[in-house]
Amino acid sequence: WLASSSLFPLACVHTRTSLQKSGKWEKKNRVVYPPQLPGEPRRPAEIYHCRREIKYSRDKMWYLAKLIKGMSIDQALAQLEFNDKKGAKVIKEVLLEAQEMAVRNHNVEFKSNLHIAESLTGRGRYMKRIRYHGKGMFGIMNINRCHYFVKLVEGPPPPPEPPRTGFDQAKEYVQQLRSRTLINTL
Amino acid sequence: ESMLRPAGAAPACLVIPVRTKKRFSVPEWARELTPEQKEKRLKSLGAVIPEERIERTFYLACTADIIDPYIPPEGDARLTPLSRDGLKQKMDKLKQTAASQLALRKIKNHDPDFSTKTFPEKAQEIFIEAHNSLANFNKQKLHSLVTERCYPEMVHGNRYKTIRWSFVESLEPPRVVHIRCDSIVNRGNLYGQVTVRMHTRQILAIYDRFGRLMYGGEQVPKDVLEYVVFERYLVNPYGTWRMHGKIVPEWAPPKEPIVK
Repeated sequence: WLASSSLFPLACVHTRTSLQKSGKWEKKNRVVYPPQLPGEPRRPAEIYHCRREIKYSRDKMWYLAKLIKGMSIDQALAQLEFNDKKGAKVIKEVLLEAQEMAVRNHNVEFKSNLHIAESLTGRGRYMKRIRYHGKGMFGIMNINRCHYFVKLVEGPPPPPEPPRTGFDQAKEYVQQLRSRTLINTL
Repeated sequence: ESMLRPAGAAPACLVIPVRTKKRFSVPEWARELTPEQKEKRLKSLGAVIPEERIERTFYLACTADIIDPYIPPEGDARLTPLSRDGLKQKMDKLKQTAASQLALRKIKNHDPDFSTKTFPEKAQEIFIEAHNSLANFNKQKLHSLVTERCYPEMVHGNRYKTIRWSFVESLEPPRVVHIRCDSIVNRGNLYGQVTVRMHTRQILAIYDRFGRLMYGGEQVPKDVLEYVVFERYLVNPYGTWRMHGKIVPEWAPPKEPIVK
């Protein structure tokens, strides 16, 4: 029986209390793999890091997360440093923290040898407040917070996928035509 | 109108100021007394409050450090016993130091079964068991074989790593080299510490979180000369000899391990 929020005994089981419980992303760093046999290829190190309850909009943060996805960590840091958005500063701090963690705790040899495999945003806790308008009117405004998750993987960044050309589409179409089977014929 | 003021809106509270007579003075009989006045009053009444001292007992199962650490002779195990210096080292037996003899006598008072001839074998067994349970992360057993001072040293940084350790053979028979007995906090609270010199061959391989080899190798046995300190709480009749720490000689500082 999981302890629910401390406020009311009738609250739902899935509420979050003020004491930070360990989220799923933080637990991913605790996975221990069995030792590799000498013949196997070296498993690349994966480091998961996140920052919770950043005072920024989740949708605005998504643009930065999409920008960074797939870049090497040096390129990502360079892009974020000269980006004018507020979230860029936060993400840069998160990436530097993750890089330091990787070198210190997770046995990563070169700090530049990392690339960003996944970068996601999530919705944090929203607070509702009153926004006062003229003539006694009011609106209910949301104070938005978001989480930011990043997964760094050791190794050079994977090469980008080549875009689908018309020639590729034509080839696939011809392949489809050729793989048809004819029934009830000679 | 219901559109402009939907349900669940901020409640409009009306504050109607009411004029009442202002009372700011508390009558004298209801005022709080200062602590001195309180004490005077209680003394005059004759009430005696016993002093409550909340004592929390704590139990020291081991000392914090190695008492009077043994200084191993220079070049131990690097000179052959055939040369003259090697022979001299061999002559340095336990019986030369008087303090060790005194301590040995004190230990024999509390534990008559102790002897410098049988103890080294038991000590080596404890050593091997402790390292095996470290490799298997058997915390219960490790706590019973290793003192509280040594446990964090052994376990720190190993939580997300896999350790493989095995004992190949002992190159020289272990022997007791140094004994000290000391009491902490109160006189008569005796702890005995015995240093055993072990020259052994061991295999150590540490794998990091992802299963990659970090230090050592599984097929590479290494010759190790160690001075291991064992401790026992002598006054406790159920005390056992447990590993307390290792002495690192100054002429053989630990080298930086090669990270693979």
